[in-house]
Amino acid sequence: MRKGFYARLALNNIRKNAETYFPYVLASSATVMMFYDMLFLLFSREVRGLSDSDMLRTVLSLGSVVTGFFAFILLLYINSFVIKRRKKEFGLFNILGMEKRHIARIMLLETVIVGLLCLVLGLAAGVLFSKAALLLFLNILKVKPSFGFEVPAEAAAMTVLFFGAVFLLNLLYNAFQVYCSRPVELLKAGSVGEKEPRTNWLIALVGAAALGSGYYIAITTESPLAVVGLFFVAVLLVIAGTYGLFTAGSIAILKMLRKNKKLYYRPNPFIAVSGMIYRLKQNAAGLASICILSTAVIIMLSSTVSLYVGLEDVLRTQYIREISVSAYDATDEQIRELETAVAETVEREGLAVRNPVAMRYVSEMALQDGNSFAGIRTAGYSFRNAALLMFMTAEEYNRLEGGNMRLAEGEAMVYVIKGKIPGDTMDLNGHSLRIRGYLDAFKTAEQFLVGVNRLLAQNYVVITANEQDLFRAHESLIGEKEGYTYNYLFDTGAGREAQVGLVSALKDRLKGLRVDGYAAGREESRQVFLSVYGVLFFLGLFLGTLFILGTVLIIYYKQISEGYDDKARFAIMRKVGLSRDEVKKAIRFQVLSVFFLPLVMAVVHIAAAFPAVSRLLAILNLTNVPLYALCTALTILVFAVCYALIYILTARTYYRIVRA
Amino acid sequence: MALLDVRNLKKVYTTRFGKHPVQALSNVTFAVEEGEFVAIMGESGSGKTTLLNILGTLDKPTSGEVLLEGKRLTDIPEKALAAFRREQLGFVFQEFNLLDTFTIRDNIFLPLVLAGKSYKEMTGRLEPIVRTLAIGHLLDKFPYEVSGGQKQKTAVARALITHPRLILADEPTGALDSRSSDELLELFGEINRQGQTILMVTHSVKAASHANRVLFIKDGEVFHQIYRGLRTRLEFYQNISDTLTVIATGGGVHA
Repeated sequence: MRKGFYARLALNNIRKNAETYFPYVLASSATVMMFYDMLFLLFSREVRGLSDSDMLRTVLSLGSVVTGFFAFILLLYINSFVIKRRKKEFGLFNILGMEKRHIARIMLLETVIVGLLCLVLGLAAGVLFSKAALLLFLNILKVKPSFGFEVPAEAAAMTVLFFGAVFLLNLLYNAFQVYCSRPVELLKAGSVGEKEPRTNWLIALVGAAALGSGYYIAITTESPLAVVGLFFVAVLLVIAGTYGLFTAGSIAILKMLRKNKKLYYRPNPFIAVSGMIYRLKQNAAGLASICILSTAVIIMLSSTVSLYVGLEDVLRTQYIREISVSAYDATDEQIRELETAVAETVEREGLAVRNPVAMRYVSEMALQDGNSFAGIRTAGYSFRNAALLMFMTAEEYNRLEGGNMRLAEGEAMVYVIKGKIPGDTMDLNGHSLRIRGYLDAFKTAEQFLVGVNRLLAQNYVVITANEQDLFRAHESLIGEKEGYTYNYLFDTGAGREAQVGLVSALKDRLKGLRVDGYAAGREESRQVFLSVYGVLFFLGLFLGTLFILGTVLIIYYKQISEGYDDKARFAIMRKVGLSRDEVKKAIRFQVLSVFFLPLVMAVVHIAAAFPAVSRLLAILNLTNVPLYALCTALTILVFAVCYALIYILTARTYYRIVRA
Repeated sequence: MALLDVRNLKKVYTTRFGKHPVQALSNVTFAVEEGEFVAIMGESGSGKTTLLNILGTLDKPTSGEVLLEGKRLTDIPEKALAAFRREQLGFVFQEFNLLDTFTIRDNIFLPLVLAGKSYKEMTGRLEPIVRTLAIGHLLDKFPYEVSGGQKQKTAVARALITHPRLILADEPTGALDSRSSDELLELFGEINRQGQTILMVTHSVKAASHANRVLFIKDGEVFHQIYRGLRTRLEFYQNISDTLTVIATGGGVHA
């Protein structure tokens, strides 16, 4: 009888608080579903059976961790909203004679009921959706599905355990909230006159400075390899800046607006500015989080989409010919041996070499300081002044370009791909070369280095008089003797299968040689790229959806709680002489300003990050900037539409609460 | 012509679930002349607040009419109602109804800002009111920083700044201590002497004794009224108190 009473009360509470509980159940079920599906892919036989399942599963497990982490934060956050709204109710129970342990008991029951409901709904949806997720995944990877339906026990068990823990944590938090508060406070919670926030100029200025320097780094760092290290710094700076500006900067700006009498003393700004000072005090961190989350979603989606869509470009950048054979530290004799081996293998496969390009050179990373270069192997690593030097003899140049160049000993012709060498000599770790002049064009090098030459801020081809000069310069730079690097690239015009077959035949044949040789091909790499970019693309879609869900919920709960806060305010304004329409207009003005602030800021972030991200994509051999721009624009558009829809839905709820 | 004319006002509430309609006002008729300070008294549930809400255009009567300077309030279209309320009426509530997010000055300015007045005009209007109410030192503070009496003075200033035809006060001393109450009531008297018409709903005898005339409402009807005339405030207090006693004990004064 007594037990039945508590259960009934708990059930009743859930039903009565449907407005706050329903989205919570929806969110929890959705995150349970997504978490399960991520684990499902990770553990499914199908994915285990794929050729590069190790890489795929590494990325998927990373995805599971991110999903879990995000679900954890989101559910804790939403729960704190739910419980804040209900404090009054618990205060009433307490005053009506229920002890805190009784309230805790009701809460335990409520949490168990809701938790079970979410787990059951989420798992059921997850199992139903898992096949669709798998099919989508395999479709992206362009692999045909083979197995039937399955429910991996590990995935289900891990989901139940993980979310069980999350719900338990929420329960503990809620119990703690009730135990720590006094009934009178419980009743009053939410109606305490708040102090006006102070302007914290220090945080505002530091935030602005952090944001500015983050943008500066993202926009001005030219070298893609330097971006790798600095981008992370820029991201941290922008995050710090966003929080600083939203929390302190916004209040500083609003207070400045308030000082402008002409602007401030007009109906809409008057209501909005004064309200927003308080709104932002409570919500700045949440809005900053939404802003950062939105930025992350859009950048993640647009870059993974463009990588996936631009796969063909990537392959063409990476491989200017269908087949590529290379050797390192090779002597002339070894190169001849290699050439013979390749020719034999191609013939044995029944194919012919077309459009061949062959090049022998040595290339070395060096640190440039004015006109002197230090070998990176001896001088250490830094991307800022790293330069790629490619040494080639005049004879090789003449052969490639059909020229007639003649150089004296100790002289060099330089072809600048990127960068600048001051003066007319270059110093290579003490060995000096006279620069006789600069080449206007070097077609083969340009074409050949297209993938590489975007990575560094300095990139030169140095043509020496002869082989002795070349190796003397190189030896001085690296402190040891080393042979040529040799590249041999050609097309075959054969079908996909034949090309893949040729590459593996070449690989086998090269193993038997004395030289350190390597063969690769465009078609052979396609599947590898498809897997890598495909799984990233899938993860982008998956996490993007999850993040959008999170954004929706955070905004929904914000709107609800703000609605309750603003209710009294607007009631007073009605009494003082604000018409229904004017109230509506004022509400819309205020809600719009608060609501779209994070989105606008996110778009600004994305615009600032654009140069940096396109350089990062260049490292992954995606050099198609217009494609990336298009993907970014489309993603922003889709996101903005979702955002606007959320706005319309939540604004309606908000307005209903305020008007009631 | 009377400033305010209330004729045969009737208000019936039908609750959402209740089958029985509740009659808050059955038949209220009275008039207020320009420059009067009228108090309306009655017990809880006698319909005082309903009456005030109807006079303040916050609610509509079931039947009957209210005329302000000969203009029927029910004729004013919904759209113009807010502006009418803002320009013709001033409100003072028991709970002050100040906005926490505004300074005292901005709270007073609120109706003028909503009416789209210029900043210059607002400051011009504020000055004499600040002098009368002696709240100059509070203007830059926030409501949570001042006392209840000071909050109510702010509310009075907010009501006065629009130069309303009529001030409607709903239990203005209800949330104040006795010293603040006295001060506020003195202030009402002062404002009234400057020519401001005031209609105040209260069940405090002391508050009512500051008025020129007291109307007694019982069971949704004006049951009785008395004028202060030339009596002192103390005599008037006694008079009101006696009347209440008679009404409460079911007296047949009116019969």
